[in-house]
Amino acid sequence: MLSVRDLKVSYGGIEVVHGVSLDVAAGECVALIGANGAGKSSTLKAICGLVPASGGSISFEGNDITRASGHAIVRAGITMCPEGRQVFPQMSVIQNLRMGAYTRTDPEQEADLSRMMDMFPILRERQSQAAGKLSGGEQEMLAIARALMARPRICLFDEPSLGLAPKIVASVFETLARIKAMGVTILLVEQNSMMALNLADRAYLFEAGRIVMEGAAGALKNHPDVMRAYLGH
Amino acid sequence: MLIEILQQTINGLAIGGVYVLIALGLTTVFGILGIAHFAHGSISMFGGYLTYFLATSQGLPVLAAIPVALVAGILLGMLVEILAYRPVRNANHINAFIVALGLTMMVEGINLQLFGHEQVVIPTGLSRVFRLGGITVPELRLYVIVAAIVLVVAMMIFVERTKTGQAIRAVAENRDAAILMGVNVRTIPLIVFGMSTALGVAAGIMVGALFAIAPGIGEGLVVKGFAVLILGGLGSFPGAILGGTVLGITESIAAGFISSAYKDVIAFVVMILVLLIRPQGLLGRAP
Repeated sequence: MLSVRDLKVSYGGIEVVHGVSLDVAAGECVALIGANGAGKSSTLKAICGLVPASGGSISFEGNDITRASGHAIVRAGITMCPEGRQVFPQMSVIQNLRMGAYTRTDPEQEADLSRMMDMFPILRERQSQAAGKLSGGEQEMLAIARALMARPRICLFDEPSLGLAPKIVASVFETLARIKAMGVTILLVEQNSMMALNLADRAYLFEAGRIVMEGAAGALKNHPDVMRAYLGH
Repeated sequence: MLIEILQQTINGLAIGGVYVLIALGLTTVFGILGIAHFAHGSISMFGGYLTYFLATSQGLPVLAAIPVALVAGILLGMLVEILAYRPVRNANHINAFIVALGLTMMVEGINLQLFGHEQVVIPTGLSRVFRLGGITVPELRLYVIVAAIVLVVAMMIFVERTKTGQAIRAVAENRDAAILMGVNVRTIPLIVFGMSTALGVAAGIMVGALFAIAPGIGEGLVVKGFAVLILGGLGSFPGAILGGTVLGITESIAAGFISSAYKDVIAFVVMILVLLIRPQGLLGRAP
């Protein structure tokens, strides 16, 4: 479904992703794990068109999207739930959710809206409040629901647990598991490797802008190098 | 005394409406692009001149000249975005600042070349005066107030109730997140400049009908517009509406009770006092 080949990303002439190749099949949940600054988020941003690829190619359902603009990529079916939540702080919760469906023209948007608020009751409760007034965990739920409002063919999550209390992190991952069970294809970037590997079907381990290991999530979880470096065993 | 205050408040509402329209255009552009669009006043006056030209030399009825000028304003605004601001979109902010200053001089020069240096008044033929108790309301002032309210309400509905309007807000609040929602961030500035310039042209027509258009008026108006933004709270639509109304009424009352020569001084003194108490502006959020 999504295929990245030899992707390179540079910021101001300094290359931070040095030729990364990865694939995500329809219905799969794939995690990118690794330390801070390993190039995971930059890879996601390049897929979404937020930063330009300086080399390599990205294709989605057979179409080359390497040079496509951000809004065209969303219309193709790729949605990202960004790092740091990035809600629209002065817009209401419901306005944020409606922005998620910006590219849609079908008549089922209102039905999806109430489905999202069934899934996240706190969003129904706070629907007319400014999104910036929500707690970090509530904003994360809003960002996830907003991303799903686009009815994406694949949903990218960038560090959904970052900056949240452990209890909230657990509930974020429960939510991701429910989304996975709904059949949404997921590409997840996460520093919390244990949580990510528990959720994902497959994973890629990033180190200094390269993929150093890939395989089934269960296999990576039990690999001695991964256990020592990332799982704290 | 009370009658006089009410009278000056009505007068102030008309000029306040002009300030609100100018300020709403400035705040939308500032919110989206972070640009202090100084040329806004001069372009607004171009719209006023154009209406005058169509209504006099071309013999069009004023009511037909106004929509033509508004459409011209939308197109002109889009042209300004493409030719002047888009090339410096990703450059240092000082570049857009210099472009804005240069554009102001250019448009002032074009106005002078095309329409001359004589002051002009748009002939509306509206000379009836309504009397309510001891208050007199010239019908022109009343129509200006109503038109300003209609335009402000229309803009609020557009921004709050349409997908494009919501996209404008989204880009102003978080540009990258707006891209992730699928908003084309190249077309949004075009729409914003079209809308803002149309509001500005409406204000220019009002100035031309109520008072007169002359070289330099537009620059004065843009300074007032920015004063309103700061008074109301930067980036706040309700703040721009409240700020413009307050400034208009303050000026009017100051002119009526003290001296019209000092109305600008008094208006700015009130603004400074407000900012001493509320540095974030009337409806701005504390940093």
